[in-house]
Amino acid sequence: MRWLTESYKWVERRVQLEAPVKDAMLHPVPKNTASWWYVFGSAAMTLLMLQVATGILLALIYVPSAGDAWNTLQLLNHEIPLGWFIRAMHGWGSNFMVAVVLIHMMQVFMFGAYKFPRELTWVVGVLLLLMTLGMAFTGQVLRFDQDAYWGLGIGASISSRVPIVGGPLVNLLLGGPIIGGATLTRFFALHVFVIPGALLAFVGLHVWMVLKLGVNEWPMPGRPVNRKTYDAEYHKLTHDDGIPFVPGALWKDLVFSAGIIVAVAVCAAIFGPYGPTGQPDPTIIQTAPKPDFFFLWIYAVLSYLPPSLETPFLLIAPVIGIGFLLVLPFWAGEGEKSWHRRPVAVIVLVTVAVLWGVFTHLATFTPWSPKMDAWSGSTVPAKIVHNLSPVERQGAVIFQSKQCRNCHSIGGVGGERGPALDNVASRMTEDQLIRQVIQGGGNMPAYGKNLAPSEVTALVRFLGTLHPAGQPAASDASRTAAAQFGAPSQTQSSSPTTSPQKTQ
Amino acid sequence: MKVSLLAGAALLLFTAGCNRLPGAPKAGVEEVPRPDSITSFKTLYGQNCAGCHGDNGRNGAAFALNNPVYQAWIDDASLRRIIENGEPGTQMPAFGTKAGGMLNDAQLDALVHGMRSEWSKSDAVSGQTLPPYAAAKTGDAAAGKAVYESACARCHSDAGNKITDPTYLALVNDQTLRTIIVAGRPDLGHPDWRSTASGHPLSDDDITNLTAWLASQRVSAPGQPYAEPQ
Repeated sequence: MRWLTESYKWVERRVQLEAPVKDAMLHPVPKNTASWWYVFGSAAMTLLMLQVATGILLALIYVPSAGDAWNTLQLLNHEIPLGWFIRAMHGWGSNFMVAVVLIHMMQVFMFGAYKFPRELTWVVGVLLLLMTLGMAFTGQVLRFDQDAYWGLGIGASISSRVPIVGGPLVNLLLGGPIIGGATLTRFFALHVFVIPGALLAFVGLHVWMVLKLGVNEWPMPGRPVNRKTYDAEYHKLTHDDGIPFVPGALWKDLVFSAGIIVAVAVCAAIFGPYGPTGQPDPTIIQTAPKPDFFFLWIYAVLSYLPPSLETPFLLIAPVIGIGFLLVLPFWAGEGEKSWHRRPVAVIVLVTVAVLWGVFTHLATFTPWSPKMDAWSGSTVPAKIVHNLSPVERQGAVIFQSKQCRNCHSIGGVGGERGPALDNVASRMTEDQLIRQVIQGGGNMPAYGKNLAPSEVTALVRFLGTLHPAGQPAASDASRTAAAQFGAPSQTQSSSPTTSPQKTQ
Repeated sequence: MKVSLLAGAALLLFTAGCNRLPGAPKAGVEEVPRPDSITSFKTLYGQNCAGCHGDNGRNGAAFALNNPVYQAWIDDASLRRIIENGEPGTQMPAFGTKAGGMLNDAQLDALVHGMRSEWSKSDAVSGQTLPPYAAAKTGDAAAGKAVYESACARCHSDAGNKITDPTYLALVNDQTLRTIIVAGRPDLGHPDWRSTASGHPLSDDDITNLTAWLASQRVSAPGQPYAEPQ
């Protein structure tokens, strides 16, 4: 063991790292920051290390060419021992990393930790968030499957909407006007060299500033930040009532980071790797590509926006959003840190989180999108079929073959673009159904030109059977009366809109 | 030493069991196969046919294909032709790529083969002779009326089972009528040609005439939702 000590001394004599490392480890931090709320930053860094490690392993096998990428993923999934597990760790690691970075950011925002003197730490953190999202997107592209292919197409078409530089931007991104051989190598370079390099450098800067400026103290109501007095107050806090960073605060970081790694491994083992879904072949149109979860909310928002607002939203919203985050510490660099005294901050955070959650949830089942294979794949419930007359049964066939099912569900199966029709007859009369089918209305197109009269009639007869047992179908009272008391004669009919056919 | 041995053994066990973890991709199974490479009957039928013809060929809105009489009656070529090119005058669309659909030749063959192996039975017609698939001559509508009254009217004259409704007749072609008369809808409890009339099966002539009479009930402007004004 002597030689080990000697070697250590020899190296230390030359690099002289012992003192700064000791300094960093033993520097005092406020006692109340040794909290479970302060573990997300270190967890994000641990996940970054995991991503680097698993990423290197994947890069040993992965071939970034349009022809081979998908096949090498199959190779990893099926041939290489535990290749699938490495892919799954990397994929789940990326999900966890985005999530933990966002939680870390929310915590920092709530604790007012971006205020003086940590403004630049926050700004670098915002850049780190953008880089993390950039890693997530480029990583999704490298998993070169149908989702990746069309996601890339959507990314390119978003870039193309930037005024003036849109075209060159797409060229730069894709290595040409379309997704081709150069595209994947560009994204490989971005994902493996450019962004990770910048990410590691900025993480270094971020951590350096945390060490130099100290861990943000637990916010106390009525103890606002003042540029003139903060340093003295913080110094007092750490030296009078502080504990050394190691081991006082670090052990919680270590435990949480370990837990996160275990969670990633458990998710990887249970849910497995992401895809690859179908081959990235643009001739395969039977696909409904979706982004990974961190971009689902954008997918939902864009789906709900009217087309005329898409470009303004795409180009203006990110500028405002990122601009707000960057300006925040300079605009609110002083004052209260505690959430008890910052109602606006709390409302903003809760609103953003709820919106994000709602849009993400909506994007998981895309109620705005027709299910293009429902007409041929989703059956009319047998119970309904059994009680139909021949005409009504033909109406059910029309309902399927004319693809009504793609937007309207029956028995909980089918599209969600339009209302479910299980009880449609109890809310619309025969006349209203005919009118709706022929003329459309609301969001429904008019089908009058695509359906023969016999088809409309059979379809409406079928729809007329869709009401709960024991609850009659909606009916037109005037029609009932006419049937009961006889139709008024032509001369008595005062309403010019009533056609003679309808008054019988 | 003991600790490292134990750890090594645990690692070995872990890696050996790894490919049985729930997340491990199944060997030989492509996560999402190319749509044009699917030739599994169950998948093809489920994606393309079940919507109208029902799960497992029964209880659908359209004609039941899981009907041994129908499978015994129709020949491979006709079955394939109908899937590939559709059936004119009905809602059956063309599924073959040559006719604008999405299924290639191998998939059409897989569908025909699958229906045969899953749904046909050797004793489907128990020794009786089936009428020919297509009518050989033009039927006599007047004679068909008599067949209708003796064999069909019993059930089909009440409003809930009416088959002479011009709207219904406008949506089916003559071959569909012939098919449903011969093969019935066993899944809905509707009889085939053997037990429609009491005592004897319908003859080829009966069926041809009956179809001709039903066809003669079609009107020039079908599907009027409201009855003619008095």
